[in-house]
Order: sequence, then C-alpha cells, then structure tokens
Amino acid sequence: MTGFHSLLADCVDIGLILLNREGRICLWNRWIEQRSSLDAARVVQLPLAEAFGAPIDPRLALVVRETLDFGWSARLSHALHPMPLPLFPPGCKQDERVKQAIDVIPVDVDGVRHCLLQIRDVTETVRREALLKQQARQLRSDLQRLSRAQVELQHSEMRFRELARQAPAGLFEADSHARCTFLNERCEQILGRSLPEVTDIPWLDLLPPGEQQRVRDSWRLAVASATRFAEEFVFIRPDDGSRRRMRAEAGPLRDELGRISGFIGTMVDVTEFHERAVLNEFRANHDSLTALLNRDRFDRHLCAAITGAAESGERVAVLFIDLDDFKQINDTHGHQAGDTVLKTIASRLRRTLRNEDRVARYGGDEFAVLLNGAHDRRALDGVIAKIKRVVALPINLGHCHVHICCSIGLAIYPDHGRDPATLLTHSDKSMYSAKRRHSDPQR
Amino acid sequence: MHTFSELELDALTEAFNLSLGEAAATFSAIVHEEIELSVPTIEILSRDALTERLTQGRPDSGNDRLCRINQRFNSADGFQTDALLLFPEHGSLEIVRRMLGDDTPVQHITELEQDALAEIGNIIINSCMASLANLFGTEIIGSLPSVQSRSAATLLDDRDADSVILVARISMNMAAHNLSGFVLFIMDVPSITSFMGQIRRLFRLPGHDDPAPAP
Repeated sequence: MTGFHSLLADCVDIGLILLNREGRICLWNRWIEQRSSLDAARVVQLPLAEAFGAPIDPRLALVVRETLDFGWSARLSHALHPMPLPLFPPGCKQDERVKQAIDVIPVDVDGVRHCLLQIRDVTETVRREALLKQQARQLRSDLQRLSRAQVELQHSEMRFRELARQAPAGLFEADSHARCTFLNERCEQILGRSLPEVTDIPWLDLLPPGEQQRVRDSWRLAVASATRFAEEFVFIRPDDGSRRRMRAEAGPLRDELGRISGFIGTMVDVTEFHERAVLNEFRANHDSLTALLNRDRFDRHLCAAITGAAESGERVAVLFIDLDDFKQINDTHGHQAGDTVLKTIASRLRRTLRNEDRVARYGGDEFAVLLNGAHDRRALDGVIAKIKRVVALPINLGHCHVHICCSIGLAIYPDHGRDPATLLTHSDKSMYSAKRRHSDPQR
Repeated sequence: MHTFSELELDALTEAFNLSLGEAAATFSAIVHEEIELSVPTIEILSRDALTERLTQGRPDSGNDRLCRINQRFNSADGFQTDALLLFPEHGSLEIVRRMLGDDTPVQHITELEQDALAEIGNIIINSCMASLANLFGTEIIGSLPSVQSRSAATLLDDRDADSVILVARISMNMAAHNLSGFVLFIMDVPSITSFMGQIRRLFRLPGHDDPAPAP
C-alpha cells in the first residue's frame, strides 16, 4: 500500500481491512486500530484470526475465501451476524463489541485479486430501530386498548339507546339554556314534537304562558346553583290540545372543566296520577254519595273552629240534622230512592248555607252543620227554620214525589260545651228531643 | 427469441438445484432453523413477458410491491449479467422478521432488515452464479447486492425491452412460511449468445461447434 492510500484509508469513517491473495493483512486503517486497540504495524502480514488473536466468525472466513478464490462479493448483515469481529467502541471498556455490518468485495491491486472488508458501525442504527420498534409495539398496544374502549363505548351507547327507547318515561338532555340536545321517543310523544323541531328553542317556551315564568325561574336557579331541577307544570299537547300535567326532574351535567353544560333528566305525564291524588284526597275527606264532608273531616273542622273561637271569643254553633222516617222511604221505594233523597237533601243544605259553613253527612241519614260566628240566636233560629223548609220540599224520585221532614238539634260553643265531644253529644240530645216533639206533638 | 431445448433446461435446473441446496444449508446454519429451497423451474423470457407473468392473475398487483435484490456480474471473457432476486415485499418481510425472531408491527422494512434481506439475496444469487461459473469454467466477478422495493408493473422498467432473461422460479420454506420468488439473470444479446453456446458445449448438446471430447 502506498502512503497516499493509507492516508486516505485513515480518513474515512468506516473500517477497512485489505487482505492479499493469501488472506494476509495488507491494510488496517485507523478506524480499525481505534476499535481493536491493535496498531497496523503489529498486524500487517498476519491472517485475520491471528491478528485478532481469536477465531473469527466462520461465515466471514468463508466469504473471504470465496472473494479471494472466485471474485464474489458478500454482505454480512448485522441482523444475521451481529458482531463478527472483536471490535469495541474507542475509549470504552472492552465488554461489548461494536455492532457491525460487513461488506466483503474483491479488489484488483496491481493485477492481483485482494479482498477488501468494509466494516460499518451500526450501533446507532440498531438503537434507533429498537426505539422505533418499541414505539410501534407501544402504538399497537395503545391502538388495541383504544379499539377495546371504542367497542365498549359502542356497547354502552347501544345499551343506553335501547334503554332510552324502551323507557316508559320521557328522557331528555338539554343545554343550560334549556335547548334540547336529546329526546327519547317517549319524550317526543309527551311533548308532541320531534327533536329537530325543538333544538333551537328552550323547551320552557313550549309551556303555557302562565306556567313559563315559574318554571323558568326554577330552571335558572338549578343552573346557577348546580342543583337538581324538579317542577310540575301544566302542558297543552299540540297534537290534540289536551291539558296535561307534567313532572320534569333533571340533574346537572358538567363539562371537562367542571362547568354546568346542561341537564339530563326525565319528563313524566302525571295527569292521571295527579287526578287520582286529588280524587283520593277528596274521598278521604268527603262522603262518596253526597260529596259532603265526612264525619272525620267534620270533626277536624269542629276542633279547629273551637280553637279559633277560643282565641277570638267567637261563638260556634253545631247543628245535628236527622231525617224523620227515612227508613220508610227506603222500605217503600228502595235503596236507590233513599240515595236520591240523601243526595237531594245534601245539595239543598249546601245551597242554603254560606260557603264558609261546613256541612257533613255524619251517619246514614244524619247531617251535621258547623256555623261560625253564631252569636245571634235569632239568626240561628232563622237558619234552622230555613233548613227545615228546604228539607220539607217535595223530592222527585222519577216515578213519584216524596216528602220528608227533619229534626234538628243545636249546640253552641261555649254555652253548651267547650270541646267537640260535649258539643256533639249536646247537639245529638237536642236533636232527639226535637224528634220526640215532632213525632208526639201532644207532649 | 432464444430458447432452450428441454435437455438444456434440465441441465440448468440440475445445476441450480445443487447450488440452491447449498444456499439453504448456509441459511439454516445462520439462523439455526430448517430452511428449504425448492427445486427451481427454469425458462427464458423477454422483459415484457416476465412483467406480464409477475402481474398475472393479481388485479391488485399494482399495489403489491416486490423486493428486488440486485447484483452485477462480469466475467473476463466479456460475459455480463445482472442477477436479480424477486420476492413479494410483504412475504419477504415476514420471513426476515421470522429469521430475526421479531414480530414488531413496523409497516415498512427497516434499514437493518433491508441489510438482512440483501444478505439473503446475496447467498441465493451467489450460489446460483457459482453453478454458472462452474459450468463455464470461468471466473465471474460479482458486485455487492442492492435492495429496492417496487411495484411488479414497474419493476423492470430500467431494463431494455429486448433484454433476454433467464428466469429461475424458486420458493423458500421456513416454519410454515412459504415464500415464492424468482432468480433472474438479465443478459444483453452478446452475453446470451455466448451463454447459450457455453451451455450447449458443456452439456454436449446438439448445435455446439466443438467436437465432443470423450468424458
């Protein structure tokens, strides 16, 4: 090798070893010196294995031979031959070889075939590719996780949709301005409108004008305080114009920053429930035949009236009314006729008395009346006489008219007693003595 | 178009078969796993006929890329050939990763994997070329392999349309993976003429000029 060639070989960033026809080293560049810790001077004219002082990769030995004998070129990739030569990173401890890729080519030197080994350090490439593969693995596992989550999301969305479809209650989701973003089928039925028809207007605007302000205030309060919204309101169905009573309940939804983004909740048509409740309350307090107060309710009114009168110094009168010979009507004309008589009498009593007076059906054919402000005895007598008159008017049974009279007993707070029981007993007794007078005028 | 007689093809097949057996042994030694290279089938085709063959029956072949490992060989007596090894990119990537015991899902071939593929091509091509050199009793100097990836339709665009190509179809088997590919020797007209002459002379087939010496 000429000095020029050696100089050139020392300048390149690749390992160069030139072997002569006999396989002995005739060039050993600086790159190799630095990584083998062997000076060129020490190894020139030595075979490869002897120079390194260790057996070299058998495949490398084979291809070197093929190159010298037949002129073939060969590539020893790092992947299949990771570190064929004992070369180490310059300046490092000799514990791990440089990762290598070796090209072996025939070269013609002065008409004689030589074999050139070009050794590349692929450590950095290996590191880069390992990183790339690690990232690819990470990406794959992320992707798998993501697609699993997506599947789960699809399932849960499907579940929710099916639940929402089958739910007997209306379900809705609305933004904080009460504009609906979701309605299930039931809710569309209840509102009588489809989602696209109401997306741009607050659902509160669908309420009758008289209800809007109250419900809107309640909605605003729920938005401002991030609390549950619950309201009952009247709603006019646009499809049939029917008047319904609704109950809406909703809980706040928050966005990723924790701000209220809207509400999700239920809307239920409580019309029937409401009507039933009113009816039940009426039944609990009223007689089912005559719709007058029942005995319980009357007693409670009496207690309240006595308490009120005790404070204000007012007087309270209790009238006990018993129909005379009512049994006879029942026996002669049947129970239905009896019922008609009771209903007619009840209606006449109601019309005869003031709104603030309480009238009750106290027993089978007994009625009780509570009169507040009964300080004037003459006025009381007038009321009693009026009652007797209206009761005595003929009652049309359809096939005939009947006449019935009544006996009335009177008790006044505080004159005849200071508690309900005493007053009622007094009134009852007074009624019976009146009845006796009525059936036996001689006495 | 030059053609081979059946006898000549048989003779070439036998020569390639022997050398591919040695290539397979070399692989097995490197990766410590059984690798089988099939008995090749040999034919002579024009460039366009081969392109048609490569894209045949695969309507999506425009997207199905092939790996091409290329080496150039020159002999002292003026014979020149480009030796190409072709494998489907996806299949060869699978085989290389299988050899390296790596199942990382990187979509494209990496630099180190490409190097390994070059070595695989190098071993197969060198072994085939060894049998030719042996037959011709001449020395054929070979370059280093280079690897490219292309669609089948454009794979041979850099070759002359009238190039004559000696095609050896081989397949490589490794642990239930099967990879079919081609070894091509692309020659110019003088080379193919000299090549055919050599074959006829060597196998003492009818048409060669030399008097046949007794074996």
